[in-house]
Amino acid sequence: MASIRDIRKHIGSVKSIKQITHAMKMVAAARIKRAQSGIMSARPFSDEMDSLIGDLYREMEEEDFMASPAYKLFEEKPVSGAVCLVLVTADKGLCGSFNTNLLKAALAWLKEYRGKKIYALAVGRKGRDLLKRLKGLNLELYFEMVNIFPKADYAKAEIIGEKVLELFLGRDIERVTLIYNEFKSMLTQRIVIGDLLPLKSRALVSGTAVKCGDFNFEPSKTKLLEALLPRQLKAQLYRVLLESQAAELAARMNAMESASKNAEELIEGLTLKMNKTRQAMITTELSEIVGGAEALGG
Amino acid sequence: MKKKLSLSIITPEKAALTDMEVDLVVIPALQGELGVLPGHISTVAQLKEGLLRYKAGKEHGAFSVLGGFAEINKNNVLVLAEAAELSREIDEERARQAYRKAKDALNVKGDDLDLDSAQAALKRAAVRLKIAEYRRKHK
Repeated sequence: MASIRDIRKHIGSVKSIKQITHAMKMVAAARIKRAQSGIMSARPFSDEMDSLIGDLYREMEEEDFMASPAYKLFEEKPVSGAVCLVLVTADKGLCGSFNTNLLKAALAWLKEYRGKKIYALAVGRKGRDLLKRLKGLNLELYFEMVNIFPKADYAKAEIIGEKVLELFLGRDIERVTLIYNEFKSMLTQRIVIGDLLPLKSRALVSGTAVKCGDFNFEPSKTKLLEALLPRQLKAQLYRVLLESQAAELAARMNAMESASKNAEELIEGLTLKMNKTRQAMITTELSEIVGGAEALGG
Repeated sequence: MKKKLSLSIITPEKAALTDMEVDLVVIPALQGELGVLPGHISTVAQLKEGLLRYKAGKEHGAFSVLGGFAEINKNNVLVLAEAAELSREIDEERARQAYRKAKDALNVKGDDLDLDSAQAALKRAAVRLKIAEYRRKHK
């Protein structure tokens, strides 16, 4: 049986762990507010961007559209080509199943495209480490960006966006898939696997509400579209970074909260055990003394 | 009643200005400055970096914008810029320092982690510098 001293030591270490998890929870809770407001303020930009692009589509003739260089981003390429994966994970652990689930999803995706040439862009240390570890796949880690959370900003999304476009336009790539965690609520994150490129065909994109009025375009419509689409892509990536950031913080907050709770329970159990041991010791000593006195007096 | 324009400036990181009532907006479009008064024809224009000026009553204001688009539709002026800052908020000296620091960080071959953030910082600082220079020239 463990001595009182051992139990005391154990309690002490659990207590200090609890302090750490509690502090981490507080930090995550403080940061999540900012992350959430970041998502909120990024929303109008991408909404307006979408509606602007929608307006542009409606004003455009089919032939113009097909001839414009922007069409390349829509073009369905032959299925034989390579594929590209953009994996957004966290940099750090201690956030519950956030990374584990993400990496599992990524592995399943990679398995599906086994045999093809795969280009990977890793955002976040955990994803990069996984992709570096993998063997037996025709995989090239094209670009990596680590240590950006929790300070993701638009400039970083821009760098990623440029890399994606460079890759997509420069090589024979069938599609670019994005895997990340979406911030659904404080309690849940959802893994999203979605295609970033090629863009959905025009018929699907054009919205319903038709704004009346002829627009003047400066410069020409095709030029505008060409300049707009990469920006839209970057805005989308920016949103993804923010979502992942908020989701990571939420996951960490929850994980650390339950860790603190578990530590609390552990301490309670250990304290009880310690008291019982002490009690037992006192009882034994007492009975020994009484037994000794009786032996002497008798 | 005199008609007014409603000006909104939105960047990916925040809405710099929403639905402000103004009389005149001058937009730095790709092919030259574009002055917008109430009743302007619906237009979509691409921006280059520069000063976006507006006038509301007797009040003048200027924003520094960096690339992006402007949509003018029925007296609504919507500016989607990659970055926008109130012109007077930019500190040129600080921008220059940040630029130099980022450049140094890029030159020192550290691990790749710092490289990304340094690159981003360099980009931001370069924009600020450009805007500050522009502001000096056009004062």
